[in-house]
Amino acid sequence: MPHDPYQALYLHIPFCVKRCSYCDFVTSAVPSDSPEIDSYIEDLCMQIRHKSKEGELADIKTVYIGGGTPTHIGLSRLSLLMYTLALSMHLDSWVECTMEANPESLTENIVRDVFALGVNRLSLGVQSFDDEVLRLLGRPHTATKAIEALRIAQERFENISIDLMCGIPGQSTATFRESIETAIDLGVQHISVYPLTIEDHTPFAKMVLRGQMPDVDDDMEAEHMELAAKLLQAAGYERYEVASYAKPGYQCKHSIAYWTGVPYLGLGKSAATMTQNCDRRMRVKDGVVTDDLTPAQMRAEDLMLSMRMSAGVSEEHIAYSQELLPNIIPCFNNLQKKGLVILEEGRYKPTELGWLCGNELYGDIFDLAP
Amino acid sequence: MTQDLSHIRNFSIIAHIDHGKSTLSDRILELTGTVAQRDMKEQLLDSMDIERERGITIKSQAVRVNYTADDGETYQFNLIDTPGHVDFTYEVSRSLAACEGAVLVVDATQGVEAQTVANAMLAMNANLEIIPLINKIDLPAAEPDRVKEEIEDGLAIPADDAVLASGKTGEGVHDLLESVVYNIPAPQGDADAPLRALIFDSYFDAYRGVVALIRVVDGSVKKGNHIRMLATNTETLVEEVGARRPAETPLPELSTGEVGYLVTGLKDVSQVKVGDTITLVQGGCSDPLPGYREVKPMVYTGLFPIDGDQYEPLKEALEKLSLNDPALIWEPETSHALGFGFRVGFLGLLHMEVIKERLEREFGLDLLATAPSVEYHVYRKGGEMISLHSPQEMPDPGEIERIEEPYLKAKILIPPDYVGAVMDLTVQRRGTFVTMNYLSQTTVEMLWEIPLSELIMDYFDKLKSNTKGYASLDYEFDGYKESNLVKLDILLSGKPIDALSFIVHKDKAYERGRVLCEKLKEIIPRQMFEVPIQAAIGGRVLARQTVKAKRKDVLAKCYGGDITRKRKLLEKQKAGKKRMKAIGNVEVPQEAFMAILKVDD
Repeated sequence: MPHDPYQALYLHIPFCVKRCSYCDFVTSAVPSDSPEIDSYIEDLCMQIRHKSKEGELADIKTVYIGGGTPTHIGLSRLSLLMYTLALSMHLDSWVECTMEANPESLTENIVRDVFALGVNRLSLGVQSFDDEVLRLLGRPHTATKAIEALRIAQERFENISIDLMCGIPGQSTATFRESIETAIDLGVQHISVYPLTIEDHTPFAKMVLRGQMPDVDDDMEAEHMELAAKLLQAAGYERYEVASYAKPGYQCKHSIAYWTGVPYLGLGKSAATMTQNCDRRMRVKDGVVTDDLTPAQMRAEDLMLSMRMSAGVSEEHIAYSQELLPNIIPCFNNLQKKGLVILEEGRYKPTELGWLCGNELYGDIFDLAP
Repeated sequence: MTQDLSHIRNFSIIAHIDHGKSTLSDRILELTGTVAQRDMKEQLLDSMDIERERGITIKSQAVRVNYTADDGETYQFNLIDTPGHVDFTYEVSRSLAACEGAVLVVDATQGVEAQTVANAMLAMNANLEIIPLINKIDLPAAEPDRVKEEIEDGLAIPADDAVLASGKTGEGVHDLLESVVYNIPAPQGDADAPLRALIFDSYFDAYRGVVALIRVVDGSVKKGNHIRMLATNTETLVEEVGARRPAETPLPELSTGEVGYLVTGLKDVSQVKVGDTITLVQGGCSDPLPGYREVKPMVYTGLFPIDGDQYEPLKEALEKLSLNDPALIWEPETSHALGFGFRVGFLGLLHMEVIKERLEREFGLDLLATAPSVEYHVYRKGGEMISLHSPQEMPDPGEIERIEEPYLKAKILIPPDYVGAVMDLTVQRRGTFVTMNYLSQTTVEMLWEIPLSELIMDYFDKLKSNTKGYASLDYEFDGYKESNLVKLDILLSGKPIDALSFIVHKDKAYERGRVLCEKLKEIIPRQMFEVPIQAAIGGRVLARQTVKAKRKDVLAKCYGGDITRKRKLLEKQKAGKKRMKAIGNVEVPQEAFMAILKVDD
């Protein structure tokens, strides 16, 4: 179908040194010298060049190399990938190009070279600065290693994000607070705070089933999320999305693309592509259509995703959406009554409750489009 | 042509549930060539899907087969397959009244069980000649000698000549047919007397109206006769008579001693009641055959559509099922919590389950059933009696002089080791021990008086699990007795939820209330606000629990591929909500309404 240009590009690197206990991403533990990785990267490069030839990369404004663990595949393959990318699109300095990195495999050489090849934002998978928690999560690194990796990264990169997890059974509020404070002290520009979700078929899920581990405690997760919001906002970070905090000017543009209905192209195993025009929105993953939405459903989805962000949606936008979603005004009035949404300066924004109990909020919006 | 009485044999096959009655009937049809092997389906006589699936017989059936015996004579056998479950005891008794003999099927591995005893008693009371048959002798665990002993000791039926058979392999079925010829008496009756025919079952056929299954006792009946049903005083013209082989085959007439069907053309099955007597309008008789009684429901439940739009379809479905089931009684009921629905009366728990399943399956309805209750007799001060079918109708405690509840005589058969376990359980359920008999060294019969309301909780499940599955149970209605009963209300967020209230013995109210609050706390998911749960009698709160407000319910990660997952999750959440009932602003899952039944864990 004729479609609007893609503006975000995602490249998936499905390899890790080992799988963490909570992880259900598409990735597998493969030794870094495996020829399997070589042929995967070659294939990925071919796809990039092919898409470039078709003109699909002409309007790309953000690139995200995620995984898996991109740094696990080593410098030479990363260089090959970045060369290919730089030759296939305008990888200008204003294009946000993020690469995920893990403390155990981030080296000085990688930092130096990928920065030189156009990566300008690094997302470091720290998860916690507490060794006990890291062990429980099955992470292949320690807190010291994470701090070391961060110092190395900071020699080149100024735009660095780290992930922190909360609500992990066994994690006390005190250790979570310490992790947040350490992150603040280390001077990163962006922090994502995720409550642990126990996904099916993960080692954690099995442990919970066998009774070897308690299930997640929603109250504790809520407490941690509230604590993170308090500490980070006091330290000058803005909460621009339910789980994302950034110093002014350092919001992740690529993530925002996902949340604002911008078409994105995903390359590599299980990477999702969103293609749309004004009549239809489709998501495709590994050649399979996973979503096929009508204009009304598109509008509802955009609203739902907008309500993850602190900016929320404007009154005008709501009024404008009424044509496709006739029940939208009563719905938002009701959400206000439930305390999930607040109308402020002409915009409907999620409240703290709206953030913590987002499914309640998104569910009502989702129901607007049949 | 009038059939020669001496060549007719009318008999039933009776058994405890699962002892293989229907399979045995199948083999008889096969062996007599009534049904070609290629047309044979399992349990041919169980015509409803639900009967075949659950392996139970709900409606009676009558099949005519011709059997050429070893003596060279051809006999007309009328085989009447009866329902095997206690809920349908009355229907069984009428079917038996249409016979001269019964084949008592006993499982060679299980031996005599409660319904074996109950059915054998019914057959003896009907003065039937009983042929014991030990079934499933092909199983490695079969113990025919032990079972013979049990039949002799426990039932006082000589079992030396018991037929050893296997419905599965067909072994012994020929012996059975010969035994029927020689042991079961030919019917007696006066062919010249005015017509008297017993209705032992009836059903509604969309094309022909109500069809009755009858046994002609005296006289004869044919197409065009003007007949009258004595109990209902309904008159109609006979549209057709015939026999089932098992397909309906019209005959010129049904004469004395014969069993067959009669097409009435009537539109309402309640005009053609089981147990009633058919006679001719002109030159008929006026004394009915003995044994007729009105069938009354024992168990009541509220049935509510989960989706309010399904009220009318539910009503139509109940109307349709009632056409065929005069025991199904219903009236509209309104619940503040559940909206518009029906109070439905059933013969028993199985009957209830079967109807609910048929409503859901055959009519595509999503139903919510409230906890079953019984009919209480409430005497107001001043003497007026109210029949209470629903806790909602309970008058103010100040106006009540006394309440009576239905009691059952229950018969439990168990190996002697479990006497203690049954004693504990049944006393705990307010049962009164009557007596105990050793039927054999391995089987004890315990007799109890127990309130029906206790039995319809999970008593049978508990009895089975406390006796490792050995216990078998049979019961019959005994009468009403006074009890110290109170209505227990459940309040959610301070509001009484009528559909959750129930009537309970006062001594048990506190415990039930406490456990139920705990159960509901587990069942009701956390909501956006705190939900207090209270159990109360009158205004007095006995127990309280709180479902805390939900604090976190969000998928934090939401990147490219996660968005699809998120949509799926929200769809699931929506489907989950659909299975809940919104009461005020509280979402209550369906299980909550059945939680009352599971308060003993």
